[in-house]
Amino acid sequence: MAGLNGDPILGIDDKIDDLQYNNNDNSNEAIDKEGLLGLGEDCSSYNKNNQGGEKDMAGNPIHRSGSRPQLDLSKAEIQGNSEERDPTILLPNQSDDISHLALDIGGSLIKLVYFSRHEDQSVEDKRKRTVKEKLGITNGNRRSYPVLGGRLHFVKFETSKLNECLDFISSKQLHCGSIGSHSWNSEAPANENAVIKATGGGAYKFADLFKERLGVSIEKEDEMDCLVAGANFLLKAIRHEAFTHMEGHKEFVQIDHNDLFPYLLVNVGSGVSIIKVDGDGKFQRVSGTNVGGGTYWGLGRLLTKCNSFDELLELSQRGDNRTIDMLVGDIYGGMDYSKIGLSASTIASSFGKAISDKKELEDYRPEDISLSLLRMISYNIGQISYLNALRFGLKRIFFGGFFIRGHAYTMDTISFAVQFWSKGEAQAMFLRHEGFLGALGAFMSYQKHGLDDLMVHHLVERFPMGAPYTGGRIHGPPLGDLNEKISWMEKFVQKGTEITAPVPMAPPGTTGLGGFEVPSSRGATLRPDASALNIGVLHLVPTLEVFPLLANPKMYEPNTIDLSDHKELEYWFTVLSEHLPDLVDKAVASEGGTDDAKRRGDAFARAFSAHLARLMEEPAAYGKLGLANLLELREECLREFQFHDAYRSIKQRENEASLAVLPDLLLELDHMDEEARLLTLIEGVLAANIFDWGSRACVDLYHKGTIIEIYRMSRNKMQRPWRVDDFDLFKERMLGSDGKKPKPHKRALLFVDNSGADVVLGMLPLARELLRRGTEVVLVANSLPALNDVTAMELPDIVAEAAKHCDILRRAAEAGGLLVDAMTNTVDGSKGNSSSVPLMVVENGCGSPCIDLRQVSSDLAAAAKCADLVILEGMGRSLHTNFNALFKCEALKLAMVKNQRLAEKLIQGKIYDCVCRYEPAPAS
Amino acid sequence: MDHLADVSNLRSSQSQTQISHLALDIGGSLIKLVYFCRYDDSCRDDGDELRSQNDSLCSKSDNSQPVLEGRLHFAKFETSKINDCLDFLRSMKLWLGVNSGSHDGTAPPSDKIFMKATGGGAYKFADLFKEKLGVSLDKEDEMECLVTGANFLLKAVHQEAFTYLDGQKEFVQIDPNDLYPYLLVNIGSGVSMIKVDGDGKFERVSGTSLGGGTFWGLGRLLTKCKNFDELLELSHQGNNRIVDMLVGDIYGGTDYAKIGLSSTTIASSFGKAISDSKELEDYQPEDVSRSLLRMISNNIGQISYLNALRFGLKRIFFAGFFIRGHAYTMDTISVAVNFWSKGEAKAMFLRHEGFLGALGAFMSYEKQCLDGLMVHKMQQKFPISASSAGDNIYCSLNSNSDENGSIECTVYGT
Repeated sequence: MAGLNGDPILGIDDKIDDLQYNNNDNSNEAIDKEGLLGLGEDCSSYNKNNQGGEKDMAGNPIHRSGSRPQLDLSKAEIQGNSEERDPTILLPNQSDDISHLALDIGGSLIKLVYFSRHEDQSVEDKRKRTVKEKLGITNGNRRSYPVLGGRLHFVKFETSKLNECLDFISSKQLHCGSIGSHSWNSEAPANENAVIKATGGGAYKFADLFKERLGVSIEKEDEMDCLVAGANFLLKAIRHEAFTHMEGHKEFVQIDHNDLFPYLLVNVGSGVSIIKVDGDGKFQRVSGTNVGGGTYWGLGRLLTKCNSFDELLELSQRGDNRTIDMLVGDIYGGMDYSKIGLSASTIASSFGKAISDKKELEDYRPEDISLSLLRMISYNIGQISYLNALRFGLKRIFFGGFFIRGHAYTMDTISFAVQFWSKGEAQAMFLRHEGFLGALGAFMSYQKHGLDDLMVHHLVERFPMGAPYTGGRIHGPPLGDLNEKISWMEKFVQKGTEITAPVPMAPPGTTGLGGFEVPSSRGATLRPDASALNIGVLHLVPTLEVFPLLANPKMYEPNTIDLSDHKELEYWFTVLSEHLPDLVDKAVASEGGTDDAKRRGDAFARAFSAHLARLMEEPAAYGKLGLANLLELREECLREFQFHDAYRSIKQRENEASLAVLPDLLLELDHMDEEARLLTLIEGVLAANIFDWGSRACVDLYHKGTIIEIYRMSRNKMQRPWRVDDFDLFKERMLGSDGKKPKPHKRALLFVDNSGADVVLGMLPLARELLRRGTEVVLVANSLPALNDVTAMELPDIVAEAAKHCDILRRAAEAGGLLVDAMTNTVDGSKGNSSSVPLMVVENGCGSPCIDLRQVSSDLAAAAKCADLVILEGMGRSLHTNFNALFKCEALKLAMVKNQRLAEKLIQGKIYDCVCRYEPAPAS
Repeated sequence: MDHLADVSNLRSSQSQTQISHLALDIGGSLIKLVYFCRYDDSCRDDGDELRSQNDSLCSKSDNSQPVLEGRLHFAKFETSKINDCLDFLRSMKLWLGVNSGSHDGTAPPSDKIFMKATGGGAYKFADLFKEKLGVSLDKEDEMECLVTGANFLLKAVHQEAFTYLDGQKEFVQIDPNDLYPYLLVNIGSGVSMIKVDGDGKFERVSGTSLGGGTFWGLGRLLTKCKNFDELLELSHQGNNRIVDMLVGDIYGGTDYAKIGLSSTTIASSFGKAISDSKELEDYQPEDVSRSLLRMISNNIGQISYLNALRFGLKRIFFAGFFIRGHAYTMDTISVAVNFWSKGEAKAMFLRHEGFLGALGAFMSYEKQCLDGLMVHKMQQKFPISASSAGDNIYCSLNSNSDENGSIECTVYGT
């Protein structure tokens, strides 16, 4: 995660720490920053100087240098892998761009679920497959995926604005792919009579309109079937779908999909249906009540003259039900009726005070009426649901439906009722996609969509720009290209009143980018939808798998730091928002600093600030929030505004500088005995992981000295014992004791971190040592750029360059198919001639500084099958995430802690402490 | 059941009778009174019939001890008009009977006049009673009184319980030896659901805040009705389809047969009121009242059934002032219980439904206050027609001073 110049988080951390040491002297801040980021500035100017070339070379950074002619084919191989450009989208077996659409047309809202494939599916994909087969890693491991890769989008419209919905469908051509698309339903007749699946009452009511406007027929699906199918899919496939909501506190619940059934599904629409679900397609409507959302809204309209459901709901926020409800205390003269467990504030009779002769309807505040109604109906639903769960011995009650719509108080009230009546034994749970159960179910009813087979690790949820603003609701015309998106964003920012998320603040004296005020505390008055959950776009990535070496995938939690601790959250939000201007500068520079890039950079800053503001206000808005999610969100946000690799030039420069001194380092290492060499190598990994982010002194050194000098100096400063120091254990495993030589590892997976010295001078020499011992080495790198982390696409070039000066690396790279001539060899069938174990590169399937091992590429999963050593390097992958991860095989976690707060929290140490944690394989 | 209008009749007819033993149930909406009026012996015309042939104890005491005979009277006031109630009490000097001293000569001194009371108002209005009437309210637990009252009625009063379905009222013979356990649903302002396992053995297992107070409170706001009975009366002429969203409204007039919902099933109470085109004034109060009544009755019936199911209770008795013998209310509750239980459970109602608490409070006298007096055995006699729902229960109060004194209640229909 740390990089020579690029890692903003660490850089800022250091700055903060420096500031603390400097007594928060502001005048030093700028200097510090300059000092720290000096290299970055160099790079920017470098970029500007090379603007023309850079443009041409976009997406092809290493090739640009032109100094590695032999890399052509190797690069082509990687470049040809369009999965790496957007690995969350593409699938091998599809060639058509198709969309699918299903609707749930309710009385007040129209919910759409539509599927889109990414467009740039190409022949490159096939080429990649061929190459992969040659590589031998994944040969035979590639499964055929029955499911389309693509994205599931969730959007909603008000039913009264049906025309907007029709325009949206029409502009996205969503109705065209519905049938006759061979990929989906090959038997379907390719006639003009396209069909859209729909459920909800409106499926009947508006069928003619759809026919007339879009020329499509609506095929009606049973409402209950759809609800259940939708709920089953969500509960099985989405990790952070279900949550509890008590007293304003939201907590996600991990559902084991093998232990999902039976459960009670309570759908609160106009009325309430209570459904016992025993399995896919197996369910029974066991109860219901006619006191539901329609009652709330109907009675509410009559009593308050509100014009919309949401207005009524909002009123309730400010209400006091005590003016209308008769409480136990009112009957008992302010006392509890403790004998039967009723407190004075328990509602004895809803609207019971309204029997008073003295007051008429006009004398009651609409706010109070709304709240009384809300409580009456929510309590009642909670109670009846609980009684039904009890009746069937069901452990879980999930509530969904339009009445709830993420309204905090509604959920609290229902939860309270369930808790109260069950005496704490049962808990109400809610679903993030609650409004979309029916639409999803209708979508599921298409034949052969293959969604049933999707597992939780196949889905990646992403939150595009609009998420913090609209929460998934579409306003106005659909957005086409990025330009429209940016315009929309700009318009939104101008018309501040329309924005439902806090407008990012622009503190004076900044560029206007990324200024973000961290609320010191949560606002006392929540907006009615303040706790509304944002629904992102679901990326279906059937190639993702659970990392097979996880000892206990069910218990695995990637994040080490729990951001539900508000202080922790604030800290990281501050770090991220403070760094934002610098990141924007880098990103804009990486795209040549053009006006267009600046405009995109501006929009990115706004969008990301809005995400941060949204999450600060409601940390669980996008699901359970961990640091890894936050860091990935930033990368995704950059990509959304087409900043594909903000650190491109920085990475390249560092790689070149490091590669230049690598031969010297290898020479030095080869003069050491085995034991000294091993220590030096581990020190080297730790040193290379730190020195660029070291103190001012290191940065100064960098300007004066050569990279190898700095590296050596940093290495020499490594004083054992480190804060976490299992080196002796690891050494014993590697070298043995009492003259006995242990068996070398069969295959090691090295999760690499930064470009530059980190990978070149730290990890590559370690890989070389393992290779020398006869251990196969797989370098595992990011699929997509994140900060200055090295990517799987860049690694072969780096390895090839390093191999020029090292026979061990060259032969291993040849054996691993990383070099052009090696490829030729294998094609010639002469693979067996290679005497070396292979050095291979696989992508990890993600584009984040951290890694969630529940969702890795199938290549990595395949490569892991015979691995017996996992080495995680760098803060992002071994500390922020996976610090506590247990593996089935041996694991080595190497990192330098470059953050004071993390050092204190994680290892009770201080900044720059080192972690060398070795975990032997569990006895099996 | 008596209506407030009855009070005037009582006043004139009781002027020469001695009133004693008054108990109150002061609820959130209504104050219920039960009091005993002594009759002279001439009323014991059919006394022979009163005697239980099975109970030797009672027949013995009948012969040997003076019997106070009279009527148990029932009256009610709106809690908001508590002053009317106080005036009534003052004018009738009902409370004097409490310490009339006629029983055993050990009556408390006059400055310590007390009266049994239950319901929340027993706490809330204690000071008022002290100030206005000089009476201390002796508070009895509400649930205990309800249960005591219900047990008394179910065991002692013939043809107390009945079912009501499709306008058909049918009395249910309850075997007092096979009475427990049962679910007692008392619908006052709010609703309490009590599992009764025996005399004094019970547990409040559930309840709901959607009760009589909700009907009357929401009803007042929506219809401008002046009183509960007027609102109830309105509902007779109403049509809930105007206001409620029915299954047929959603499914284009068809049943949703797949899940067993007919097109006339209410899908969403007041669900049609979401229409933009109509305001409150555009709805008939009758229709609104009807919808409201159905919503609340149906809900109570459903929750009650679910609770009965939970504890495996065969019988559900509904009581409380909300019902007040209103046919449509009972019908709706019965339909709900019938619907949700798929015909397996039946709702039952009590003729003296509104007075369980007051009766229970009244029953508590014998335990501690009228020393030497206690219910020894309730004797049931059903000498006269059982058909009418009598306003009054006639009782004979058998008072004596000996250690085994008992109250022998013999119930007549009128």
